[in-house]
Parts: sequence; structure tokens; C-alpha cells
Amino acid sequence: MIKENKIDNIFNLLRSQNKTAFIPFISIGDPDIETSLEIAKTLIDAGADIIELGFPFSDPMADGKVIQRSYERALKNRISMEDAFNFIKRLKAYRDIPVIFFTYYNPVFVMGSKFAEDAADAGVDGVLVVDLPPEESDEFNKYIRKKKIYQIFLLTPTTGIDRMRYVLSYAKGFVYYVSVAGVTGARKNLPDEICSNVKNIQGISAIPVGVGFGISSGEQAKAIKEYADAVIIGSKIIQFIESNINDKSKILEKIAEFSHGITSCL
Amino acid sequence: MKLPDKKGHFGDYGGRYISETLMPAVIELENFYKGIRNDKAFIKELNYYLKNYVGRPSPLFYAKRLSDVYESEIYLKREDLNHTGAHKINNTVGQALLAVKMGKKRVIAETGAGQHGVATATVCALFDIECEVFMGKKDIERQKQNVFKMELLGAKINSVEAGAQTLKDAMNEALRDWVANVKTTYYMIGTVAGPHPYPLIVRDFQSVIGKEVLKQIDKLPDILIACIGGGSNAMGLFYPFLKYDSIDMYAVEAGGLGISTGKHAASISGGKPGVLHGNKTYLLQDEFGRISEAHSIAAGLDYPGVGPEHSYFADKKRIIFDSVTDAEAVSAFQMLCKSEGIIPALESAHAIAYLEKIKKQIKGKTVIVNLSGRGDKDMHTVSDYLSLGNKHR
Repeated sequence: MIKENKIDNIFNLLRSQNKTAFIPFISIGDPDIETSLEIAKTLIDAGADIIELGFPFSDPMADGKVIQRSYERALKNRISMEDAFNFIKRLKAYRDIPVIFFTYYNPVFVMGSKFAEDAADAGVDGVLVVDLPPEESDEFNKYIRKKKIYQIFLLTPTTGIDRMRYVLSYAKGFVYYVSVAGVTGARKNLPDEICSNVKNIQGISAIPVGVGFGISSGEQAKAIKEYADAVIIGSKIIQFIESNINDKSKILEKIAEFSHGITSCL
Repeated sequence: MKLPDKKGHFGDYGGRYISETLMPAVIELENFYKGIRNDKAFIKELNYYLKNYVGRPSPLFYAKRLSDVYESEIYLKREDLNHTGAHKINNTVGQALLAVKMGKKRVIAETGAGQHGVATATVCALFDIECEVFMGKKDIERQKQNVFKMELLGAKINSVEAGAQTLKDAMNEALRDWVANVKTTYYMIGTVAGPHPYPLIVRDFQSVIGKEVLKQIDKLPDILIACIGGGSNAMGLFYPFLKYDSIDMYAVEAGGLGISTGKHAASISGGKPGVLHGNKTYLLQDEFGRISEAHSIAAGLDYPGVGPEHSYFADKKRIIFDSVTDAEAVSAFQMLCKSEGIIPALESAHAIAYLEKIKKQIKGKTVIVNLSGRGDKDMHTVSDYLSLGNKHR
């Protein structure tokens, strides 16, 4: 029998426990491969249910300053796709939680069918390609479908109901609701319409909904937990890397402390 | 087949590779443009501004001394004589009218050399629209005059300090701004690239170049030549001629220090297909699909990509893509000054330089070269380049 995708399993489990998933995001290779692996392990130990790993790109046009700088640091380490997949293999050997691979399309496109093969081999469960909307996703999906990998799609505050239906018809695993119209980055205040938009999504589909972009505190996580299936946090975590760049143990300590704070709210 | 298709594809190229937040905005623009594209009142209004503000039609000038040198009949399409000094304004006038009619109060644009920035700031002043231009820090330093012009015209300049601080980074930053302000803001792309429908819109507005040439000539030319960065002046000249199979078209890319050095901006001659800034097209990139820095002495060609329709016609070999180096472009720049009394933009000098490269093919033929812009903005660059060269001698 075909094995189900791990993303489905975790959401089924969490729903049965009435819990919300914590999905942290970090870039592979920031500040260096070994430290980023330690950070990922720390996040898992602190209760991450799924982990989202960014493949550093030269032109991250959907990202704010914090993730841009994170990619710049990682790019200095010349992270290749092979390095990224080795990273994921090592992480999965530590604990086999679902991995979402976050990338811009070009590094994946140039690999053709090989990306899906190598990603499956490394244990990738979902791929979020930020500049690959459903309209252009056929070729990519042909490759990843064979390997039981899901493409994770996004919905945003600018998405109307008709387009929501269209995007949801492609969605698998969970759908990522982008809480603000803008780039990634921690924000103190989030718009009020998140809840109503998530409810609109839930009115159309039973697929789990994760909320991300701008989330930076336990309080925000607690509010989102009331209606969403997952809370996704990236920039806020990466800020701990940036502000403690010369002290690895402090990076790990701060990230552990922050993540415990989040998971205790979920 | 009519291109682009419904999804904005030119064969394998083009399309819409953008974040979901922007999808509704480009769909809105597509639908709006579809409705107005053939509207008589809109076309009349556009033509009014092209004639009375831009100064069209631009002359098609018979370059006698140049023709004598190459034993051919060479005509220059004088886009350098347009208001603001280049073909860029053909497009910005059209898109500004769209922005006004869509009710957008704010326009953003990216610029490299500053020509598209100046053309955007100009029409925003004309139509009283708030204007912000994104420009790489390095380009701001090397194009001070255009920066000052944009400020005089009332635009706000945002210095982009990410990456190589040139055009591609400016475009990244413009996209970031657009994603945050998409409801109020019109993104004015300056070339035949970006997500659908931009390559179509810009092609439409720039096609006035080729359409005018068709009216200005007595017989069909044998050869068309244009320089190519993103490709808007080339597409503008070529597009109305594509149906004439007998005409050879040459798009001249920026060869920089030479294709083999890796320091160039020749996306088709020296790149491979990929996805960036909303479209699938030829790109300069490394083995991991990360985008490489482009290099050209002509800031307007200094971009690691090219419009998707060009990629399509390159594969079909309907348009021949080749390149000339910085050195060849500067020689042609000097030559045109002395032989015709015209100071071309360094970008356009690439097209002029190509005459020398294909001098055997053009003998006895009628050739039209798109002189896409004038060289006032390049005085410092050329003078620095020449004094540096003199030191080596």
C-alpha cells in the first residue's frame, strides 16, 4: 500500500488532540551548516511539529530584510542543493518529523525531474515554491506527485473567494495563509481579517490551514490557535541568529526559550 | 498562432511566476487591458500624447556617410529624439494612461541606467501620480544626472542596497513594495518582461516604432538591427516586421568584456532558460540556478535576463542573437559621433557596432538600425572608459 504523506498524518493526529501545529522556518546554512542543523534539532526538541527549511536564493523577492540577510549569510557558505538534501537526511535521522522545503522556483526548475527524486530520497514531504502559482505548477507537480511529495500552496489577504476555490482545488497537506499583504518579517500587529479569511477557507475546504508571515509572539500564536491548524514562524526565529551571531550557544538557548514559549500556547 | 497564449506563454517561455499575493493584481491588469486595448477613445488619447508630448513620429534618418562606409543603405530610427531621450517614454505614456484609468494613485518602477525611471517620473508628473523609483545604489552613483532629473520631476528615489545594487536588485525591491501596496499601486515595468500581461503591454506600446518605420519606407528593408537588454526597443522595431519572412533581424546583446570571461549581460548568447521576476526566459545563472551578476558598460543592458518573447524567437531562430563587447560599443559610439553628428546612448551603440561585425552580409542591402536613445547620460562613463584606455596605451 502507498504510504500516506507524513503531513496528513501529523495534522490528523493534532486535530484528534485538538492541538495546533508549530511550524518554524529557518534557512539551511545560516549561519553555517552545522549550526543550522543544531538549530533545527533545537526546534524539534522544543516541540516543532513540522519544520520548514529555506533553500538560500540570490533574489528572494518575497522576503523581508531578515530572511534576505539570512540567505546572504548562507550563500557565503556556498550551500548547494546536495548540501541541502544531506542536511535534511541528517535531520531526519535525528527525528523523522515532516519537512517542508521552501524555495524559489529557479533552483528547482533547472534540476528538472532530478529535484523530485533527490528530495524524496532526502525525505522531503512538502515543497513550498513561493513564485510558482497553480497556473504554472503542472510540470513541477508531475515530478513530485510520482514521489508522493506535496506542493504547498498559499492564500493571501488579496485572494478573493473565486481564486481561493481555484487554489484550494490544487492544495494538498495544508494550505498556507499569508497573514499580511507584504513580504516576510516579524510584525507587532497583525490584521483583523486573518480570522475571517481563514474561516472563508474552511468554508470551502477541509484542508488544514497554517497561518504565517509576521507572527512574532506567543500572544499572537494563541489568538491564531483559536481558528487555525498551524502557526508558522520564520523571521522572529532568524532574528535570534542575527543578534547573537558570534555566540552559537546563545543562539540555541534563545531559540529554545522562544519556541517553548510558543508551543506552551498551542 | 497568436502569441502570447491565454496564460501569457510564448511557447515554453513567459507565464506568471509570482507570489500569490500579486496574482489578483496581474489578473486585474490583464482584464482591464483586454477591455481597453482596442478601445478607440483610448488609442486616440494615447496617440495624442505620443504626437504632442513625446514628439512622434520619430524620424527615419538616412545615414549617408555610414552607408558609404559599409556600401549599404543604412537608416537610423531616431528614438533618441523623443522627449526624455529614448524609446522608454513610448511605454510609460501608455502605462500611465492605464494607471490613471484603473484609478491607481501611486506608481512604482525599477530602473537601471535611469532612463525608464526618468520616463516614469516624467509621465507621473504629467498625469499627477505619486511616483517612487527603485534603483540600485551602484547605479545611483554612476547615473547621478538621471537621479537628479527624477527628483526634479517629483519622484522619490529608493536606493537599493541588496545584492549587486543594480537593476535586478532594484526589481526585487520594487516587487517587495508592490506586494505590500498592491491595492493602491501600479507597477510600471520598463521592458517586455515580467509576469503576463506586461510583455504584451510593453510590446504593444513599443510597436509604434516598427509601425512608423513601415510608413516611412518605400520598400521593405533586408535587415533590422537593435540592441537588447530586456528587449523593449528591439521588440518595438521587430514586432511589426515579423510577418515578413525575408527580413533578417539581429538582436545585439551586451558582450561586456567578452562572453568567455563571464563578465557580460548576454542572457541568450551566454545564459540558459530559467525563471525570474515573473517569467520563464533565458537567464544568466550558476549551476545551482542562482542568478548571476550581469556586466555591461551600458547600464540599460546590465540585466541578467531578457523578455520571454525574445527567448521564443531565439529558439525558433527567427531573431538572431549575437553580442558585441564594451570596447566594440565604445568604438561605434565614437564613430557615430564623427560620421553622422549623432551621440548615441551606449546601449544603442551596441546596435551600431554590429554593422561592423556583419559588414559582409549588409553589403548592398537596406538596413534599419534602432537608435534607441541618446548619449548625454553616458558622457562620464565614456570619458572614464577612454581615459582608462589611454593609460594602458
